Amino acid sequence: MTARRGVVYDLGYVRYDGPRLGRRGAVTATVRDGMFRILGFHRKARYKILPFFLLALAVLPAVAFVGFSFLLSNFAPDAESPFGGHAEYFSLIGTTVLLFVALAAPELLIPDRRHGVLSVYSSRPLLPDDYVWARFGALLAVLSLFLLVPQFLMYIGFSALTGETLMAELIARAGELPKIVLTAAVYALAYAPPALLIAAYTKRKAVASGVYLAVMLVGMGLVAGVVQATVLPGHRFAALAALIEHPNYVRDWIYGRSATQELIVSQAGFAPWVSAVMIAAVAGISLLLVVRRYRRSM
Amino acid sequence: MDRPAIETRGLSHAYGSVVALHDVDLQIPPGRVGLVGANGAGKTTLIRILLGMLTPTRGTAEVFGLDTRAYELEVRARVGYMPEGNCLPPDQTAADFLIYAAALGGLPSRAARQRASDVLTLVGLEEERFRPLGGFSTGMKQRTKLAQAIVHDPELVFLDEPTAGLDPEGREEMLELISRLGSFGIDVLVSSHVLGDIERTCDWVVMLEGGRVLRSGPLASLVDVDTVEVDLIDDPEPLIAVLVAAGAAVERSGTRLLVTADGKDPFLLVRDALADTGTGIRSMGPRSTSLEDVFLAVEGSR
Repeated sequence: MTARRGVVYDLGYVRYDGPRLGRRGAVTATVRDGMFRILGFHRKARYKILPFFLLALAVLPAVAFVGFSFLLSNFAPDAESPFGGHAEYFSLIGTTVLLFVALAAPELLIPDRRHGVLSVYSSRPLLPDDYVWARFGALLAVLSLFLLVPQFLMYIGFSALTGETLMAELIARAGELPKIVLTAAVYALAYAPPALLIAAYTKRKAVASGVYLAVMLVGMGLVAGVVQATVLPGHRFAALAALIEHPNYVRDWIYGRSATQELIVSQAGFAPWVSAVMIAAVAGISLLLVVRRYRRSM
Repeated sequence: MDRPAIETRGLSHAYGSVVALHDVDLQIPPGRVGLVGANGAGKTTLIRILLGMLTPTRGTAEVFGLDTRAYELEVRARVGYMPEGNCLPPDQTAADFLIYAAALGGLPSRAARQRASDVLTLVGLEEERFRPLGGFSTGMKQRTKLAQAIVHDPELVFLDEPTAGLDPEGREEMLELISRLGSFGIDVLVSSHVLGDIERTCDWVVMLEGGRVLRSGPLASLVDVDTVEVDLIDDPEPLIAVLVAAGAAVERSGTRLLVTADGKDPFLLVRDALADTGTGIRSMGPRSTSLEDVFLAVEGSR
């Protein structure tokens, strides 16, 4: 038998002459890296635990609601679902989404600054503004998993339970879809930009998460105290600083529900559109300040 | 000179009251170019302006004929950059980071993966590609930084102090890699304060000091002033007298003479003078002027 003989070719360095995607490719890569980073992909298993635990907390109740509703419909076909609808579900997962944003926003921005990776971005066809918008886009994309996936599961699940045929019921309930998407956008815009702003000006991830949760949760308690202290002049305007409540108020507006008096902005006598304006203003100012920060450091 | 790869006109930059670059006029050809100067000479500032990362206070800078302010994205699509400081995320593997760096350079996903693998092999990290970068040694980190600078196959790569912090072995490997880049068709601008590194890797040198250009030209033209070094057994004076009479310049240090001759071959002059005087020698040989000599001489004459 003759021995097989191989030849080793030293190809050396091979020039690349294929397509180049330029700025569009760089932005797409930054969005994709951001999504992977906050979900813990391409990293050790421990980085995946918290994001997927929170995602499960956001999605599994929807699966359970549809399942229990299915069981209930077998015993009492005409009974109303005891779990509420789409609007109530946004309230249910609000804290989970807030916690996720508190963890994800620092993860998106701080390591790149801390480990000098910004100098790599600066040498590629990517502007500082592109970087900020790409990271914001990555956060919105992952947030949509939290805010939209369970809602769509409920939309399809409840349609399957109640309708004559699934397709007919999906069409009959199609009016829910714009409300779901709009409300999800409101929550994402209310929660994400302030978190990015804090992360852009903070050196440590844990500090950024802590400050964000303090502003959103503890700050609300302070606001409630000021609003109720009627001796202070203009006290009711303090309610506008209750950032965590604005999306709930706008959600009620979108779903045509009368606002509950539990909401401080409602107690202070503001109309829901004021909350919508506040969300847009805070988001806009936050993102502009983040862009300003990165124009200086990239 | 061919069309310059880099050209600056009246380029100045100041950080507040600190002037980092002052009226820099340069025409740098394609090839391997060394940017030498002490810390704070303005090397990194010049590179950052050429990358479009800094807006100069005054003047213009062009790379491949493109103004770096007006066409920063076009310039960046054609260049690579290895920063002096850290630029590696410690929790990512070398392979993942290189794929990302290639994609940031505009390469499609499949090409980015292929290029990342090829370039990691090129810099000798193929065995380490699935290890997190945080566990890399300084030498491995420097090679990864070089790999990210060339993974998208740029036409020109800026290397800022590529041998900083490396042990002798790592430094040799890095200099070898830099020397090879030219043969790959990649132009290189290497910034360093180690003159020996520039002498070994570059064929054009730009000397910066205090934000000003001291010299800019081919390495050969800067270091080609040949000197003959002779170590004598006998009294040097008769030999010196003959050499000076023949038009040579002689520098004496004990029994050692350094002989240079403008427009003449100093070897021939020394040979003839030795024959005339019958002076005995211990040794005789060339002593090329190093880049360090040039740097010190130019700096001293200012």
